[in-house]
Amino acid sequence: MDWIFLSELAINGALTGLLYSLFAIGLVLIYKASSVPNLAQGGLTMVGAYVVLALSHDAGLPLWLAIPLAAVIMFGLGFGIERVALRRLAGRPVVMILMMTLGLDIFLRGTTLAIWGGTSRSMELGVSYEPFFLGDIFVSRIHLVGAGVAISLFVAFMLFFRSRTGIKLRAIADDYMASWSVGISVERGVGLSWALASVVAVAAGVIWGEIQGVDQALSLLLLKGLTVAVLGGLDSILGAVVAGIILGIIENVGADFLDPLVGGGSRELIVAAVLILTVMIRPHGLFGRHDIERV
Amino acid sequence: MQEKVEAQPILSMNSVEVLYDNVMLAIKGVSVQVPQGEMIALLGSNGAGKSTTLKAISGLLKAERGRVSRGEIKFEGTDITGMLAQNRVDMGICHVIEGRRVFEHLTPDENLTAAAPTGMSRSDLNAEKEKIYNYFPRLAERRNSLSGYLSGGEQQMLAIGRALVTQPKLLMLDEPSLGLAPFLVAEIFGILQKINQDEGMSVLLVEQNALAALEIVSEGYLIENGRVVMNGTAEALKSNSDIQEFYLGGGEGTDFHNVKHYSRRKRWLS
Ligand SMILES: Nc1ncnc2c1ncn2[C@@H]1O[C@H](COP(=O)(O)OP(=O)(O)OP(=O)(O)O)[C@@H](O)[C@H]1O
Ligand SMILES: [Mg+2]
Repeated sequence: MDWIFLSELAINGALTGLLYSLFAIGLVLIYKASSVPNLAQGGLTMVGAYVVLALSHDAGLPLWLAIPLAAVIMFGLGFGIERVALRRLAGRPVVMILMMTLGLDIFLRGTTLAIWGGTSRSMELGVSYEPFFLGDIFVSRIHLVGAGVAISLFVAFMLFFRSRTGIKLRAIADDYMASWSVGISVERGVGLSWALASVVAVAAGVIWGEIQGVDQALSLLLLKGLTVAVLGGLDSILGAVVAGIILGIIENVGADFLDPLVGGGSRELIVAAVLILTVMIRPHGLFGRHDIERV
Repeated sequence: MQEKVEAQPILSMNSVEVLYDNVMLAIKGVSVQVPQGEMIALLGSNGAGKSTTLKAISGLLKAERGRVSRGEIKFEGTDITGMLAQNRVDMGICHVIEGRRVFEHLTPDENLTAAAPTGMSRSDLNAEKEKIYNYFPRLAERRNSLSGYLSGGEQQMLAIGRALVTQPKLLMLDEPSLGLAPFLVAEIFGILQKINQDEGMSVLLVEQNALAALEIVSEGYLIENGRVVMNGTAEALKSNSDIQEFYLGGGEGTDFHNVKHYSRRKRWLS
């Protein structure tokens, strides 16, 4: 066994996994504040990337300005989605809201296709592709940058959910009716969670757009992001980070063993297996909250 | 008594009708007054319309696709009938909903924080929490454990404490005694009475446990089939033979005449 090669696979897997976490944090934010898995997060991420491109490449703004500006625009879009699409559904069965987020995803994909077309565009962040060595191990710089962004967001949101506003959002996820009864604005809280998730979508859209180009495929990140979020426990930010790292490592190392045997394509199978096994064996994920049942 | 003007009730509800889903008439013209600083009970059996009455006052009807279709509700003289629930909380109405719905995945301390009004400073919030922990010392001991694992009595205390953080002038409680041992009911009702006396907070208490409720309130209303069928001081209600028969578990033996009279009047009213 070549240990250096194996650790290179593991470390690069972990870094890629943190990029899944970056995406999954957006899912967790919305789940933590409304107990709804947001199936539109992929669409939002793609829109986030396109908005950055529109501001930088089309309108000519420098990236350092285009990215924060896109974050502000997406923050507003998140609030808008709650106002227009979700408010009338508050208090309805979760499955209706779930279907609404699916509809939103389809809508966002259709809209971006209509406006920006289907050809892949590049983000051109200007991160160097020179080899970068951690000891003997080769890693990609953009992955390091993305992992850093993921960890910063993780820390920021951990702190946020201890703040008064963050506690109110967690209260909303627990019980809409009880929240209304003590004067918490459930509508505004859910809107805020969508707004924050949309800002996370900009971060994920920029990093993933740099890695794989900006096109419709960005919205497919939802599948891996959802797997990470479910493995982590859907309402746990820490879970999203740990699960991302785990999935990234399993996927990278596992594929290296399996691909020669099955002739490629084993990554998708590994991700599917992780999702299915999690739901079967540990439906609350690694760190998810349990339904409390006292006896 | 040296009041020059007749004191205005803090809450007055006049001939209120509530429709759920635009078809189901749940209360049919309920009028209730809560005088400033008093404790009032709303009694009645299952499905009578007690919770609906409270939801009409707190504005929580909207979440259940209900609405006030007739009548008006005034709080401190202001018409609040169509107001958003959160604005009513800001005005000083807080509703402790049925079934002690604490935020289970939050600690008691976080439950209290979640209910803090937006403008409340950190030091005011901490002072408020200490006051609540003083009223409910059991909560103080468990302030950092998960609320979902508290006992039923502790959860009810937390639900009341959480409502107190919103600084209510009118506290409405929906069956706080449900499923609790008699000594706990006595403890919680005793604390409610103390808060009422210390802070002059008005209380509207919904109960099926009429015996316990009539011990602490000054006045009570009896609701049947969505209508108020009786209203009087706690003393008068306690000695009323219909109430004794149906809500206080027997009283002085069965007076057949009164039972007939009661059902006759019920038919006449509905
Ligand atoms: N959300 C709702 N939609 C439709 N009908 C409702 C709804 N909530 C209550 N009702 C109906 O309104 C009537 C009054 O219900 P309400 O909950 O106010 O009674 P209650 O006096 O609180 O009873 P309980 O003591 O059982 O809590 C009942 O007939 C009930 O079925
Ligand atoms: Mg009720």
